[in-house]
Amino acid sequence: MATPTLEKSGKAPEPEAGFADSPYITATFRIRRFNPEVSEDAQWQDFQISIDPKERVLDALHKIKWEVDGTLTFRRSCAHGICGSDAMRINGKNRLACKTLIKDLSPEKPITVEAIKGLTVLKDLVVDMDPFFQAYRDVMPFLITKGNEPTRERLQSAEDRERFDDTTKCILCAACTSSCPVFWNDGQYFGPAAIVNAHRFIFDSRDEGGEQRLEILNDRDGVWRCRTTFNCTDACPRGIEVTKAIQEVKRALITRRF
Amino acid sequence: MQIHKYDTVIVGAGGAGMRAAIESTKRSRTAVLTKLYPTRSHTGAAQGGMAAALANVEEDNWEWHTFDTIKGGDYLVDQDAAEILAKEAIDSVLDLEKMGLPFNRTPEGRIDQRRFGGHSRNHGEAPVRRSCYASDRTGHMILQTLYQNCVKEGVEFFNEFYVLDLLLQEDPETGVRKSAGVVAYELATGEIHVFQAKAIIFASGGTGKFFKVTSNAHTLTGDGQAAAYRRGLPLEDMEFFQFHPTGIWRMGILLTEGARGEGGILRNKDGERFMEKYAPVMKDLASRDVVSRSIYTEIREGRGCGPEGDHVYLDLTHLPPEQLDAKLPDITEFARTYLGIEPYTDPIPIQPTAHYAMGGIPTNVRGEVLADNTTVVPGLYAAGEVACVSVHGANRLGTNSLLDINVFGKRSGIAAAEYSAKNDYVDLPENPAQLVVDQVERLRNSTGGERVATLRLELQECMDANVMVFRTEQTIKTAVDKIAELRKRYLDVSIQDKGKRFNTDLLEAIELGNLLDLAEVMATSALARKESRGGHYREDYPNRDDVNFMRHTMAYREVADDGTESIRLDYKPVVQTRYQPMERKY
Amino acid sequence: MSTESTSAIGEVEGVEPPRRYDADHPAPVIEPPRKRTGKTPKGSGTNFEMYAWLFMRLSGIVLVVLVIGHLLIQLVLDGGVSKIGFAFVAGRWASPFWQVWDLTMLWLAMLHGANGLRTVINDYAERDNTRFWLKMLLYTATVFTVLLGTLVIFTFDPNIR
Repeated sequence: MATPTLEKSGKAPEPEAGFADSPYITATFRIRRFNPEVSEDAQWQDFQISIDPKERVLDALHKIKWEVDGTLTFRRSCAHGICGSDAMRINGKNRLACKTLIKDLSPEKPITVEAIKGLTVLKDLVVDMDPFFQAYRDVMPFLITKGNEPTRERLQSAEDRERFDDTTKCILCAACTSSCPVFWNDGQYFGPAAIVNAHRFIFDSRDEGGEQRLEILNDRDGVWRCRTTFNCTDACPRGIEVTKAIQEVKRALITRRF
Repeated sequence: MQIHKYDTVIVGAGGAGMRAAIESTKRSRTAVLTKLYPTRSHTGAAQGGMAAALANVEEDNWEWHTFDTIKGGDYLVDQDAAEILAKEAIDSVLDLEKMGLPFNRTPEGRIDQRRFGGHSRNHGEAPVRRSCYASDRTGHMILQTLYQNCVKEGVEFFNEFYVLDLLLQEDPETGVRKSAGVVAYELATGEIHVFQAKAIIFASGGTGKFFKVTSNAHTLTGDGQAAAYRRGLPLEDMEFFQFHPTGIWRMGILLTEGARGEGGILRNKDGERFMEKYAPVMKDLASRDVVSRSIYTEIREGRGCGPEGDHVYLDLTHLPPEQLDAKLPDITEFARTYLGIEPYTDPIPIQPTAHYAMGGIPTNVRGEVLADNTTVVPGLYAAGEVACVSVHGANRLGTNSLLDINVFGKRSGIAAAEYSAKNDYVDLPENPAQLVVDQVERLRNSTGGERVATLRLELQECMDANVMVFRTEQTIKTAVDKIAELRKRYLDVSIQDKGKRFNTDLLEAIELGNLLDLAEVMATSALARKESRGGHYREDYPNRDDVNFMRHTMAYREVADDGTESIRLDYKPVVQTRYQPMERKY
Repeated sequence: MSTESTSAIGEVEGVEPPRRYDADHPAPVIEPPRKRTGKTPKGSGTNFEMYAWLFMRLSGIVLVVLVIGHLLIQLVLDGGVSKIGFAFVAGRWASPFWQVWDLTMLWLAMLHGANGLRTVINDYAERDNTRFWLKMLLYTATVFTVLLGTLVIFTFDPNIR
């Protein structure tokens, strides 16, 4: 025997060790399919699979892709909510497929899965992320400093570091931006994610480019288009208080003028 | 087919690729080809920190760091490289801070540091605070900061371009093979692109996906290693793979060593702090191979937890909730999300998880790829997990990989850009994309009966069972035979998606081919190394054998005239400077 | 019988639909309105949007007082609706206080409403042309109403017959 997992490797994968009786349930996944090589229309397709409800939606999508229909297309990478590849609309709400357990979705009803809204659908659950990253690039998401660099690190108090901690968590998955009704109707709006990343620098005590970023967000497509619907805060898989961050940028803009 | 021309082409946009890109874009016209959007790279999953002897919180110096790295790597580390790593660590942390990385801070406003496995004061006296960190998402912050600086520098990215082949051309006069370019498959359109470049840097990451329980992303399939290997370049030390002690039970999701650095304790089913037995000084903070083996020893001797006795507990319950919230928010959330466990009050079930390939494409300290023990391939560079410098030897210390990508990413970025400034393009071979076109067409048109997912699962289960933490001649042979069988069956693999757009079905089939090649190299190298060292533990040879095996394995792909493939193993001496091998105790 | 007609027979589940599109001739993708690109114009650099946003909040607060006061006077106090007549209006507008009250209410309410509609048009009108003409219509209507109302308040003649 090489490792303790050896004995189990021969067994069928069905009732996995560790759970006494078979934990498997049958769940229906209703997936919004679109393949421009086949049809110009998107349509819903149902897949019934047997799966452990403690597994993730991503596991279910893999099961479908690997065992039923290899043409099902989606992005994924790390599978534990840190890379931001697999944001999708699950049961009408934006989430990461790898951070959503099937048991939390009332799997006795069909679970709907579709691409995030407001971005061009290229195939099945894959959308064009370029406009999203364009907005990110447009807010100058990098540290801007003046004068000579110090030889050692720049000093920053723990409180100053804490000030923008929340917005450093962003993984650019687009769940927030693609849940925003303003963005759905006008893709020119910077969107929550870009504002969050501007916030991360505006409130960093080391940064000296805050004025430029505030100027960018003061414009027609900037923070003033936010309608505080809180969809972004609800959607964020990292628990960032997105709407609050947007409000803080608004406040910074107003206090800058008055 | 489209042909692009760049001075420098970088394959991969993780930490090493982007660190190299920041340097090389300033000096030469650079393209970065990446199969994922840059911020999806697995650098972002690193949690604990990045080691550097800043001495911000207690006495430390880089020479101690060098020693820890060499000892941690069980003396298989090239000591000149380890010295560079530890010495340049300090500047690379300060570089990142100046780029904007939000490190946690000390009360004086300096970069805060914490303890980490294997890092010690004065050559092993006691644990030292050396790991610079940003909460428990240091890797995420490094990836974001590097991407932000790429945006600032205007780095040109080709997102979702999957590099499938490396083009080498023999110099007619000298007979030396030089790098000419790479061939990439554009996922969005299915088009094939040839990138001609004066210098090429491979920074395509690891290959952990041939294991089932792994902390690695689905996309870590050793594409860079496989491309180089297929073109006749060697792979170094592939038998050494790190198993991280604390992966979430059965899922493999990483729980940082920083959890133990903050005071977390490993316990068996009797609640015993078993690491006291195996590593009296460093205890839970011994190096990763030692802790992983200890965990499996506990499990095999019947002291594992749960109904199957197949895991142990990571206990954080004695730590104040405020400390967990401030220092370990992500991993406590993983426990809540995936296990439904509240880490404030309950211990977390864990088991070792396949984590990091110490081996890879051999390079020297400038990042230049080696074609054999001494000759470099002009214009070809590698950095990060894909490369083997070797600073990690037989076992990498925690926090040294984030260091590796920054130190050697920067070095290779500068070296490559300087090379492309001084040299001209190498002519592309005739039909440069032929191999890739054939490969893609064969898979797309195949009507065979084998499925990718089935073969991959069989491979992963075989690797988990036979070449994981404990290995014997017999288990490795089982794996070699199984891999040979799978490689044969792979020729019969067919895919369902025949389209051109976002054909991830095709992509997974190609990735499986890479995994099979590399698994074969790994098992073959492991079989030949009849000793135990670092991450490679042979139960039939439980001791280190410095007489016969103080040397790096170099695996070459050989193709006979009749087309049969085989692996030729060769060995390369270890560079030793100041540190003589000693027995390794923690 | 031509092959086209056979393949055009109604779709059956599990059978491929007629292939008008293939890998080399894909269908157009489904695009959302108004994508951001590298060419998206940078803004005007003025504070107009901020002042508009502030105006909405401040005018809102003032309007709550004005409108509730107006409603109380018109509909509840002193016998309610039944008292309203020409004489009642004439009496109120004899006082400059009520003139200012109504004038402020008119201006704030109209600008508040117009700005609200402007943002709705910005959000929902997809084409530049549509947006432009809708806004022109809105501005014309607003200016007309505001001017007419102002004129009436200031030129009101209680002795008109």
